[in-house]
Amino acid sequence: MDLNRLISYSLRIGVLASAVLSLAGLAAWAARGYGTVITTSGSSVGSTIASAASGDPSGLIYLAVVVLIATPVFRVGLSSVYFSHERDNRYVMITLVVLSMLIFALISGSMG
Amino acid sequence: MSGNVVSFLARSFEYVTVRMFSHSFLKRPNGSRLFSGIADHRISNECPCPRILLIALTPGCLFAINLIVVGPLELVELLLVSILAGFIGAMFGLGGGILIVPFLTLVEGVPVPLAVGASIVSVVATSSSSAATYVRDHLTNIRLGMFLEIGAVAGAITGAFVAVYLPAAALLILFGVLLLYTTAVMIRGRRLDFPSGVSPDKAAQRLSLGGEYEELSTNVSVKYEVTRTPLTLSITYFAGIVSALLGVGGGIINVPTMNLVSKIPFKAASATSNFMIGVTAAASSSVYLFRGDVNPLLTAPLIIGVAGGAIIGTKVLKVTPPAQVKIAFGVLLAAISVLMILKGLNLPVVI
Repeated sequence: MDLNRLISYSLRIGVLASAVLSLAGLAAWAARGYGTVITTSGSSVGSTIASAASGDPSGLIYLAVVVLIATPVFRVGLSSVYFSHERDNRYVMITLVVLSMLIFALISGSMG
Repeated sequence: MSGNVVSFLARSFEYVTVRMFSHSFLKRPNGSRLFSGIADHRISNECPCPRILLIALTPGCLFAINLIVVGPLELVELLLVSILAGFIGAMFGLGGGILIVPFLTLVEGVPVPLAVGASIVSVVATSSSSAATYVRDHLTNIRLGMFLEIGAVAGAITGAFVAVYLPAAALLILFGVLLLYTTAVMIRGRRLDFPSGVSPDKAAQRLSLGGEYEELSTNVSVKYEVTRTPLTLSITYFAGIVSALLGVGGGIINVPTMNLVSKIPFKAASATSNFMIGVTAAASSSVYLFRGDVNPLLTAPLIIGVAGGAIIGTKVLKVTPPAQVKIAFGVLLAAISVLMILKGLNLPVVI
């Protein structure tokens, strides 16, 4: 498969999964009577996402957000693998630099 | 089932009432906006009393109300606006935050941090949704996008660290003026979208940045070279810093830069910018997520709406003649530059 198709599919699947999860979250919220949904932060993000398994509205939506954020990151990683397979070293370097800066930003973001 | 209907009606009633009240209380006597601080929504979660009573009885809790109350009607409003934002974002290589943030803050009364938090997440959705199509159709220049991402992400990280030390107002005015000038250049040169005889610079040759795409409005295959790459890379870096300052994607600067400096056809520039901003927006989104500024009920309809709107946008862009797209972009660019300058002059506008 060529790079365009790989990237296109992975982006599409990521957005679709995120939109479906958001919709499921809103449906769960409606089914539970349009109550208050919690806004979470910091270390409780993880446990909120875990509550998605039990159909919790905010858990489902936070899972959607995380899947969405992961999509472009996955796309950069995927390109890096593709270029190394093609032995295109310049682009392996470029994508790895972008990926490491991204991971740095994600980690420093999660530390607040 | 009937319980659901009752609670739907109760919610709608609550929504309308709260709306009426909150609008009449939107300004404090001294003229400052009510929903202005990040602290407001934190206080709100601790108010246990019924919400409608709250409005009447406890002015201290008032700020919170609009936030908690996302009713079914409001959900429809959010969906409609986000479809439009996704459409515009996909067409012009922007995230669409430029539309969502003012809507949430000015119309819905959402505090700025929460508005930006929801908006930046939706930018990732606009970008990924539209890029999926543009990449498949070879309108995106993947290599160029990945190369310029270095500048964009580095700029966004720098911006996040140095934002407090930067003369934000001066930067806003500077970029506002530059973008106004850019608008003029772009509209004047709208017919010269794919200039021939562009010679690629050294970096562009080494990285084989040149590209080719099918122009569907005229059914010709457009082959182009990329020039002055180092300049475009450095502007992308500054665009990353500015985007961190404004909380929007850097597309509004990247698209004209690619088009005017590096001579990339407008549609390819827009598609490539869409591809790039997903990465920078993903990085910023995580910061807002962990800070607690991503409200689920604001964000979920935005994700669904922009993803759908972006699909429509990609279809329209593909068949529209470049000159028309450039004029429409020019109008948008002029409006945003004026907003940036006004914001830099510390006048009350929100972007």
